[in-house]
Parts: sequence; structure tokens; C-alpha cells
Amino acid sequence: MDYFVQQFFNALSFGAEYALLALGLAIVFSIMGLVNFAHGEIIAAGGYSMFAISALLTGNPWVVIIGALIVAVLTSVLLERLAFRPVRYADPATGLLTAFGVSMILQNLFLLFVSPRPIAVTNLYFLNWPIDIGGVQISTLQIFETVTTLVAISVLALFLRRSSFGIAMRAASLDFEMVRLMGIKANRVVAVAFAISGLLAGLACVFIMARRGSVDPTFGFNPVLKAFVACVLGGFGSLGGAVLGGFLLGAIEVCMLVVLPQSYGGLKEAFVFGIVALILVWRPDGILSPPVEKGDKL
Amino acid sequence: MKLTSNWFDSGTRSALAGAFILSVILVTLGLVVAHYGQRYQVRMVYAAYVNLLVVLGLQVFMGNANITNLSHSAFMGIGAYVAAICVTPVKIKAISLPNAPWGLNTFSLDPITSAVIAIVITAFIALLVGLVITRLTGIGATIVSLAVLVIVHSIFLHYTDIFKGKQAFFGIPRVFNIYSILIITVVALFVARLFRESRWGIQLRSSSTDEVGARAMGVDVFRVRLIAWVLGSVFLATAGICYAYFLGTISARPFYFNHVFLTVAMLILGGMRTVTGAVLGTIIITFGLEGIRFMETGPELIGIKFPEMLGLSGVALGVIIVATMALRSGGIMGNTEIEQVFKKRQ
Repeated sequence: MDYFVQQFFNALSFGAEYALLALGLAIVFSIMGLVNFAHGEIIAAGGYSMFAISALLTGNPWVVIIGALIVAVLTSVLLERLAFRPVRYADPATGLLTAFGVSMILQNLFLLFVSPRPIAVTNLYFLNWPIDIGGVQISTLQIFETVTTLVAISVLALFLRRSSFGIAMRAASLDFEMVRLMGIKANRVVAVAFAISGLLAGLACVFIMARRGSVDPTFGFNPVLKAFVACVLGGFGSLGGAVLGGFLLGAIEVCMLVVLPQSYGGLKEAFVFGIVALILVWRPDGILSPPVEKGDKL
Repeated sequence: MKLTSNWFDSGTRSALAGAFILSVILVTLGLVVAHYGQRYQVRMVYAAYVNLLVVLGLQVFMGNANITNLSHSAFMGIGAYVAAICVTPVKIKAISLPNAPWGLNTFSLDPITSAVIAIVITAFIALLVGLVITRLTGIGATIVSLAVLVIVHSIFLHYTDIFKGKQAFFGIPRVFNIYSILIITVVALFVARLFRESRWGIQLRSSSTDEVGARAMGVDVFRVRLIAWVLGSVFLATAGICYAYFLGTISARPFYFNHVFLTVAMLILGGMRTVTGAVLGTIIITFGLEGIRFMETGPELIGIKFPEMLGLSGVALGVIIVATMALRSGGIMGNTEIEQVFKKRQ
């Protein structure tokens, strides 16, 4: 029983991380149809900024965390300005390949200007200590991660449902042209979407750093690949789908860790993706796919 | 309908003409380097032609169906490893793969049979993967193809008894030279062009511009996508085999992200909708990268010592992709094949 509860918390914290990232991808995709491959590099930028802040300014963890969040948001908004604006109204394949190129550029810039080797950032370890709840060993990081994700999702849901700008963003995901005709600036909607996406990436970055304690040029790739898979699983473009896909993927991954023998550790991803592929055979557009109006809106 | 020729329709004639022009250019280039070039130049051109096979294989599916595929290097790896396992002499396998299961280290076949087996197995695996991928909508297909790349790579690294993991798989007979790859490249050019102008190719291209419209005209979109996907995998397997048969050693590393980046950039720069674009992109990036790699090592030019700049080639490839997409999203060639360039002049 204890073991089961422990694994449940593991699944929840894995899922929370994927959901944060998947939500960031989905919000950008739902508004401008862009598959942001450079999301991982936004996380990496956050990680490097932690290193820079603690080396140059102060080791105070709260300053480091807030600094990383700001850098992630700024990077995200800046990328939209510089790279994604020219392809805003292009077809999804063009946007996807642009993002792919941006991701390559950033990864190699980290390689070129920082270092190909991992850089240690240890001042977030304090977030991670084991506690005992009714005989179950849980790390506090898992609790922080799950709670932060739930709060972030709730705040985002409130923002999208209650504030007028949030409603405009939801409308933009249905019909961008119409929203512009109602007098809402396209640039602002897109910029806010990227800012939210960057903020979610920054939050995920804090937790990944607290767990791993080092950053390298391909730091963001693995988590974001999982987030992409979560988005596809939940239905690309649906925010609820992204969250559902993230938590489902976390659950599948923990199941694999439990079921697979130790010697098969290297194949964990292969099994996880294999199961996802089977789910996609069942529902090719993802579990909560929004209704597709093919050929309708051109 | 029958106006001029009685054997081929105009599309086929156009394809043959275009493939012929490209073949002449590539064979001339290859022969010049083979006769006058130094050894490292021959190696470089050989590698470029292997990449060209990959880019052509990528064009067959990605270019015609307009679905971004990022798993191609994995299929190249499958082809290379299967051929390597079949062709390597038993004596060497006894040393390098002492614990191989299913008696993989107890036989060895001649290079041609091994290559055929490698192509068949790769195509079969591609068929299984393709059944999932062709059913997904564009973006889902891309993400799943990326997942396929990661899965195949983790399998290469995990089953060290068969693939030697991070170590090199050595002792593959080096049976290919620059002339072999020239012949294969020419065949590949003709196949890629003929496919593009074939009934299936035209159906696939129509489905990429308007899926609903194509369906309404009676195109079985899944089926033509699957055909192109499997045909593309045959190109990729061939590229892997050529790679293994020339170098004599392979490892899992060259079949991963860096190679995916490189070949996707080649295809996009030239223009993914045409075979001419695939060839042009491969040539430009191959020569361009040689210069950039030279800068990466930190050379001394006109008395100035440049620092070592690791990652410069990656930045350059990324800039090429972003700039192409922003300025000319169809690539250099757009929709124009080489014979059409000549036709317009007349």
C-alpha cells in the first residue's frame, strides 16, 4: 500500500512537469498554430540564467528563481518577435520547421558561448528533502511541483474564462481574424500567449533544476519531447488535452518504471512511446481532440 | 490525349529528362573528384552522396506529402546495422559480438544478399511505423516520428550484444567505392523523379495541398502516404548500407539528431517539393559546411588567430532553416524542377 501511494505521488509529480510544459506548447499552438520546438531552449535559457545570477549577483534562491522566470518569459517573447512573427500566417509545416531551426540555433549558441559540458547550479537543492507522511516517504519537491502545477492551471483557467483579455485569447484560438476585427491587437494576443508559455516553461525549469542540479545545452530537449507527446496524446491545441495528456504520460512512465526490470532501464522511453503510439492508433487525433473542420476555414 | 509520344506521358518524359540532367551533373562532379581529388576529398564527396540518398528518401515522403519527418536517420541506422550484422565475417563477429542472440554471430552472407535483407527488414519496420504515422494529422505525425527516432536510438544503445551500443561496430567489409555510390545515386534520382510524376506521386502531392479535395476526387490518402513512406525508407536503408560498406565501422551516434538536423536543412534550403531542390540543397550545404567546419577548429587566417568555435556549424544550419522559412518558404527551387528551368528559356 505504502509503495503504491509513493508511486502515485511519483506519477503525479512527473505528470505535473509534463502538464506544465504541454500547456505552454498548447497555448501557443491553439492561437497561432505554431509547434514551438524551441520550448526546450527556453527552459535551458532559464537554467543558464540561474547559473549566471548565482555566479554574478547573489546566491539567494528566491532571487535566482524569480530571475529564471523573468528570463524564460523574456526569451519566449523575444523569440516570437525575432523568429516567429515572419511566419505567423504561414502554414503549420513552415512554422514547425522555423521553430526547429530556432531550437538548433539556441542549442548551438549555448554550446558555443557557454560550454558543451553540464554546469552545476546547486542552490535549489533546499527545495528537495524527504518527509514522512503516515509512513510514506515523499520528497517535498514532488509536493511543491504538484501544487504549483495545480495552482498554475487554476489561475490560467480563471484568466482565460473571467478576464476579458483571456476570453479574447480563447476566441483567437477559434477565429483569429474575427478577434482582430473586434479591435484587439493581434500582436498583443500572440505576445501574451508566448509570455504565458514562457512563464510555464520557467516554472518547469525551476523544478527540473532542483532535481538535476545542472544545466547543459540539450537540457530542455527530453522534457519537451515528453510534453510534445503529451500534447499529441491529449489532442494538439486543446488546453485540457495537454493537461490530461501530461498526467497520463506521467502515469504511464511510472507504470513502466515499476513493471520493467532494472536491466531494461534504457528502454523505458521506447516502451512509453510505444504505448502512446497504440493509444494514437485508437484515437489518431488525440484523446480530447477539438473537432476538426477540415477544408472549412481557408 | 496522344499528341506526340506513344510510350510515355508528358510527366514521365519530363521526369526522365530532369533525372538525366541531374545525373549528368552529379556523375561529372563525382568523376572529377575521383580522378583529380585527394583522398579526403573523395571521402567528403562520398559522404555527400550518402547524404543525398537520405535527402532524396526524405523528399519522397516529406516533400510530396508535406509532412515533416524527423525519424529518417533512424531508418538509415536500421539499414546500416542489419547489413553490417549480415555481412561481417564470422571470425570478426566472434570477437565483436560474442554474446549475440539467435545465432547472429554464426553466419555471414555476401554483400548483395545482406543489402537486400537490410532493405527488406527496414522497409518492413517502416511499414509498421507508417501504419501509425500516416493516420495522424500533420503535426502529430512529426512528433511521433521524433519519438521513433528516440526509440530506435535507445534500442541501438541498449542491446549491446547486437549493436555494440556506444562502441563502434567494426569489421564490415569495405566493398563500396565512389563509383558504386555514383551508380546508386543515379538510380535513386530516377526513382525519386519517376515517383514524383507517377500516379501515386501526383495523388500524394494533391493531398498535401488540399486533403479534403483529394479525398473527394477519390484519392486514398493513407494508402499513397504509406507507399511513399515505405519507398522513402528503402532510400534510407540504401544510404545506411552505402555508409557501412564504405567506412567499415558504424556506431549509433551518426544516426541521431545531428544527422537529422543536417539532412532536414539540406532538403529545406533546396526546396522540399522538388528532387532538384534536394540535390541543390545537399550540394550547397555540403560545400558551405566544409568552410564553416574549418572555422570551427580555430584556424589562423591572414595573421589573425581565430578561437575554437564548437557549435558554429549547428548555428549556421539553424540560420539557414529559419532564413529559408522566413524569406522563401518553398526553398530555392520552389515548385520548379530542373528541366522546367531550361524549358522556360526556350
